Amino acid sequence: MIHFRDKNLIPIWEKLQSGIELTFEDGITLYGSNDILSIGKMAHWLQREKVGDAVFFVVNQKIEPTNICVLSCKFCDFAVKKTSPEAYEMTIEEILSKLNDELMEVHITGGLHPDWEWDYYVGMVKEIKKHFPKIDVKAFTAVEIDFFSKKFKKSIEDILLELKEAGLRTLPGGGAEIFSERVRRSLFNQKIGAKRWLEIHKIAHSLGIKSNATMLYGHVETFEERVNHLLKLRDLQKETNGFLSFIPLAFQPGDTGIKMRNQFTSAIDDLRTIAISRLILNNFDHIKAYWIMLTEELAAVALNFGANDLDGTVGGERIAHDAGAITPMQLAKNKLINIINDANKIPVERDIYYRPLKLYSEKIVGKVSYINTLPFFQNLNFNNYKIFTAPPRQLGFLFKEGFIDAGIISLVDYLEKESDYRLLKYGIVGNKNVKSVILYSKVPLEQLNKKCIAVSDETSTSFRLMQAILELKQGFDLNYIREKISYRKTNLSHFDAFLTIGDDALKFMNNKPEQFKYHYDLAQLWYEWKSLPFVFAVWTVKNTLSESQCEEINQLLENSLKKFFDGKIEIEKFHLSNLKLSSGEIADYLNNLTYRIGVDEIKSINIFREIYDQLKMSNKNIMNLIERF
Amino acid sequence: MDTKDILRKAFDGERINEQECLQLLSYNDLLELGEVANEVRFRHNPYEVVTFVVDSNPNYTNVCNVDCTFCAFYRKKDDPDAYTYSIDELIKKFKESANRGITTILLQGGVNPDLPFEYYLELVEKTRKEVPEIHPHFFTTSEIIGMSEVSGLSIREVLIKLKEVGLNTIPGGGAEILSDRVRKKISKKKGPSSSWLDVMREAHLLGYKTTATMMFGHIETNEDIIIHLSSIRKLQDETKGFTAFIPWSFKPENTPLEKHIKTYSSPYRYLQIIAVSRIFLDNFPHIQASWFSEGKKIGQVALHFGADDFGGTLEEENVHAAANFINRSTKDEVIELIHGAGFDAAQRDTLYNILKVYHKKPVAQST
Repeated sequence: MIHFRDKNLIPIWEKLQSGIELTFEDGITLYGSNDILSIGKMAHWLQREKVGDAVFFVVNQKIEPTNICVLSCKFCDFAVKKTSPEAYEMTIEEILSKLNDELMEVHITGGLHPDWEWDYYVGMVKEIKKHFPKIDVKAFTAVEIDFFSKKFKKSIEDILLELKEAGLRTLPGGGAEIFSERVRRSLFNQKIGAKRWLEIHKIAHSLGIKSNATMLYGHVETFEERVNHLLKLRDLQKETNGFLSFIPLAFQPGDTGIKMRNQFTSAIDDLRTIAISRLILNNFDHIKAYWIMLTEELAAVALNFGANDLDGTVGGERIAHDAGAITPMQLAKNKLINIINDANKIPVERDIYYRPLKLYSEKIVGKVSYINTLPFFQNLNFNNYKIFTAPPRQLGFLFKEGFIDAGIISLVDYLEKESDYRLLKYGIVGNKNVKSVILYSKVPLEQLNKKCIAVSDETSTSFRLMQAILELKQGFDLNYIREKISYRKTNLSHFDAFLTIGDDALKFMNNKPEQFKYHYDLAQLWYEWKSLPFVFAVWTVKNTLSESQCEEINQLLENSLKKFFDGKIEIEKFHLSNLKLSSGEIADYLNNLTYRIGVDEIKSINIFREIYDQLKMSNKNIMNLIERF
Repeated sequence: MDTKDILRKAFDGERINEQECLQLLSYNDLLELGEVANEVRFRHNPYEVVTFVVDSNPNYTNVCNVDCTFCAFYRKKDDPDAYTYSIDELIKKFKESANRGITTILLQGGVNPDLPFEYYLELVEKTRKEVPEIHPHFFTTSEIIGMSEVSGLSIREVLIKLKEVGLNTIPGGGAEILSDRVRKKISKKKGPSSSWLDVMREAHLLGYKTTATMMFGHIETNEDIIIHLSSIRKLQDETKGFTAFIPWSFKPENTPLEKHIKTYSSPYRYLQIIAVSRIFLDNFPHIQASWFSEGKKIGQVALHFGADDFGGTLEEENVHAAANFINRSTKDEVIELIHGAGFDAAQRDTLYNILKVYHKKPVAQST
């Protein structure tokens, strides 16, 4: 609930709760409001809907191979000409000497050098991958890509493909500045404009290269120009879904002459820009509070205003530093962890694609990010615990690494750690069917032998269940490929079948994929085979908790379920529009599941444990599972 | 009671008790706290105006016999960098300050036993006489207790004499944490919390107006903070003599206490303290954002979490500067910071009378 001081914001809040995207006018209303707390609360709400309490960071290093640049942009006091005494150029050896095995990501951007050859850039990426295979390379803004294309007379596609071949993973989001011809002409008239920037990112996305997006604010741009910038990004994201994160960059006046040296953006402008970005960019998963420019203190506050990423340890941050950012160059990982914990969030060390690697917080409850956990969580108040939300497979990975103290965990992941965890009396159970674990196939099930099946990259248990049915029961030999599966995605057509689970599966309910005429509910197949319900996930706690603490949690879960199913089930509109289902359809779906683990459920778990052990023994089939992002 | 119900209660204007306040101090939804604090703030000060004072914060001496472990400023008498200004030197400084448009001098110093009571009386008297543009906001409770010891007069008599020569406000420093458990550890010689409260009570009863401060982020617990807030709320119920509450976080560098502190108090904690104190101290007219100790950006944010005053321009601030925390500002910059936070800026005097309003630019299409 929000007590709006500014009543003009109420219609915007209603839209957000219904999952309706904001308009240009809404953006202007937000920027015109001084009710920063209400704006923050809305953004924090959406942030938590998207990622729960997680705040990401990456152990990274920034490399700027040269400050020599053929452009002269007014807002930049990093770039110099070749003849300047401050000019520098790094060799590949020098670049490699700045890297180490601790790093997960390197961020490379620099000036547009007049003389360097194409081979140098490709070689840079190749050599990094050769010496540090673990480091993911994020390199070259759209401005540099455009420069390469013109200088080396190659198409954007060829430039990107050669870099990808060399090992480039993603493009950084820089060079977007502000999408306004007016501002471009006045501040950076030699640099590419909005159209070209967006075009290059679109091509990158089509080639499987993800990217970030930025916006430079706090110089001469207007609020309209900021809102337009965000809308252009949202439009491209709708088309490609290729942006990983958005980073608003506060202008650092330094010696640029655009503003006085100490005229930094106001803290309120920084916070609302982060919050408004979160609200308008509803199709972006991550909004970054770039602490190097915001100051550590304000970045910490921003984690309650819509930001869920602190960038990283960064290392040598020359561009922002030269223009007067007051933050120390290198903030140790521990400092980032402290900032995030202070803000009551969960520090999540990530890789370049935002896959969680490690959590740094005590008392974490794991929650599968699907609507079917809502009956447990809608009324659950876990004092002093933080909730980490993720799809089953990611959650299972962290669970197996010991980062999760309690939570609802995919069955097979629990089975891997049975000796360290206690089973509670609750779970997610499909009785005679489940409706959200579906195998879509072009051919009848009986004809699937030797075929290739796309498997949702979110599943742990459902995949094993499918293997059990198809391999052990039917005796098939199959190939599997991990895929991101979305009802909007059209590139599933080269598979014979695909397995979708959770919310993605629900989205298919009213949008059946045409080519895949046959669909099979895996809980139903299990029931037909074993005459038992299937337990997909279980509530479990570390066995360091006492019997009475477990009983306490059981009681909390019981109360929570009772409260949820007592009377008419109310589902927030936000979920409805997200899942493309009606309130009745979701209520039917949730009512159809079982949430309590009884005798039959235990029997089913015991049978499946044996099957699972058998599947693990015959690792031939597991080897077929090609891990691909 | 559920924390949400406590917040509801405060939002509706009801007083919350110590137990409820304790619950708010461990509540982790910062924006919920901010929202209620902001409501209380606008109940006290219904305008989108934030006040500030053009002041200077010199120190007349750094010689001190109190030995607080959190202080990086004080020296022993024989230390090479020990100093004590003469009255003429100070008056000269004040005149220069007045010429720069300064209206308030917040003067504090060490507790220097070599200074006679007459020094203090003469200083106030000469300031009033020779620099009438300046409002003297002099001497914390520790110094007043020191004067009482040096002169053999009672606290009340010291305050009466100071009042006769023209002092009518005193700063709220030296409160630290008004919990004897903590004071014994960090400022033993400053005496129990009752000594601070007693001086303040006497002062209020004699018609002085004062502020109250709180230094947190060292070894205190939430319970200690509650004791502090509760003590000053009770006194305020009695006297109505406090104008504002000013919490600030401990800056550990160069202090003996440093080694006992693991991390800086976070901005998150600062905003939480601002919000909770605005909610709990329902009888305080103002809560002050301490931008000089928390940084300008967090100072701005605090204005949306319950604070309605931005403190002083602080032309000279030796105590914090000694802890490598230099943060100065000019009047223009303070006005710009307040405008940037979305408020009109109003210059005030020490008694919170508004002298001049600087309106922010209307919310335009452009930044």
